[in-house]
Amino acid sequence: MSNPSELHLDALAEIFSIGAGRAALSLSEIVGDEVHISVPSVQVINSEDINATTLSLNSGRFGAVSQYFSGPFNAEAVLLFTEEQALKIVSDMMGSQMSIEELAEFEHEAMCELGNIILNACLSAMADILHFTLESSLPDYRVASADEILHRLKENSNQPYIMVLHIDLAIEKRHTTGNLVFLLSSTSLTNLVIHIDQFLGSIS
Amino acid sequence: MSTVSATPFDMEDIFNSLNLGVCVVDADSKVLLWNNWIAKHSDIKKTDALNRQFETVFSEPVSPAFLTALKSTLTHRLPVVLSTALHRTPLPLYNASEANQQPTRMYQSITITPIQSQLNESCCLIQVTDSSTSIKREKILRSHSEILKKEATTDSLTNICNRRFFDAHYEIAIADAKRQKHSLSIFMVDIDFFKSYNDYYGHIAGDNAIKQVASALKSQLSRATDIVARYGGEEFVLVMPHLPQKVAEQFAEKLRSAVFNMAMPHINSSPFHRITISVGLCTGIPENDDNLLNKADAALYQAKQKGRNRYICLPLCETGEYLEQ
Repeated sequence: MSNPSELHLDALAEIFSIGAGRAALSLSEIVGDEVHISVPSVQVINSEDINATTLSLNSGRFGAVSQYFSGPFNAEAVLLFTEEQALKIVSDMMGSQMSIEELAEFEHEAMCELGNIILNACLSAMADILHFTLESSLPDYRVASADEILHRLKENSNQPYIMVLHIDLAIEKRHTTGNLVFLLSSTSLTNLVIHIDQFLGSIS
Repeated sequence: MSTVSATPFDMEDIFNSLNLGVCVVDADSKVLLWNNWIAKHSDIKKTDALNRQFETVFSEPVSPAFLTALKSTLTHRLPVVLSTALHRTPLPLYNASEANQQPTRMYQSITITPIQSQLNESCCLIQVTDSSTSIKREKILRSHSEILKKEATTDSLTNICNRRFFDAHYEIAIADAKRQKHSLSIFMVDIDFFKSYNDYYGHIAGDNAIKQVASALKSQLSRATDIVARYGGEEFVLVMPHLPQKVAEQFAEKLRSAVFNMAMPHINSSPFHRITISVGLCTGIPENDDNLLNKADAALYQAKQKGRNRYICLPLCETGEYLEQ
């Protein structure tokens, strides 16, 4: 397995920034206000080395939107926000024109959509730029504690690599941070690196 | 059991029997499948929808977010969800309503998934579910839970707050007063000679007296921050923030006179032969282990000792001294 170099990570950060821009555009169409999303850093970590600090998982509960995708490489993508932040974002997005924003079921559904927009934007940017096609499952939303999340990330021995994208999201003056985590097998990581090499080769 | 190699049903029948909207569009967003559910709720027949561009099928506009999502699924081949919370009613679909009323626009949850046709063309499956029923269901559950919550904190005899509510409220009120360094006043109220009232007039009359006193005390409150609760049998407690001591004392006197002026006969209560109350008041800015409730209780005890139908105010910081009406 060839571990991704700094150059690969820079290329990924660039790709995901384009994805983040697309996601911001879609979100601002929905909320009718400016939305900014940036991806300040990308890391690839061995899942054994992952801990609460790498994912800035402090105490509390987290909202996790996940999608399984497949193509030249397979992965599970999970978008993590603290539950409190997630609910604030969603209630901001929903505005207050209707009383359903208080209803839990709809918050969850809205959170699923928010995650779906960000995940799809990142996946499609990656597919467009690296020239491949990805298929994806529908998003799934769960609320879990930091321990439960770490346990799940670590127990998955088929996918020993974890790509972590730190995400900054600003909607209507509310600023929040989250993490987008990709769980990758070593074959998948190798394939991803090969595709980045091809892309870098084509532009150099 | 042998495995079924082909479905013994006509897929068309299944789509048409589904209790959700199913529609398939091709890469040019031309409608290829339009099930009965969507025909019914859009009032557009299948024959009028097939082979037309999705957005031109409806006489009303389709929401821009829906069109963006559809385009994105057709381009990127990734599934998209449109939640009710963020979109309400993206498609002009309606629910039939009572006679003589306008049909209501349906709240929808939409899923758009990329699929491949048998000719290997890229298509999109659009599924629409009606969220109106879940919204209704959740609202009903919420209102039930609010009723239960209210019942759990209300005293069933007097309809004022119960002891459970008081205990929780008192703790929060003390913490707030300590943090913000503002004063808090606790009034302990007890009906005088209540046992002999019960003995003489009976328990039903006793219950009624408790109700009357509770309502008299409650009617004295006008601020949202103030509460009156039934503390136990014939004992009540009031919690009021932000009162200067003088105002708190005037208020204690107001409570006493409100009950006195009801003039409810109580033959065994000398010298007025009517229902009266004693009030113990403690007011101040709580610090550390200060216990306003104990002080107010001690003040009530003194009011009883001093002859009832009166209030006693014990300041929080000093001990032994009391201010009498």
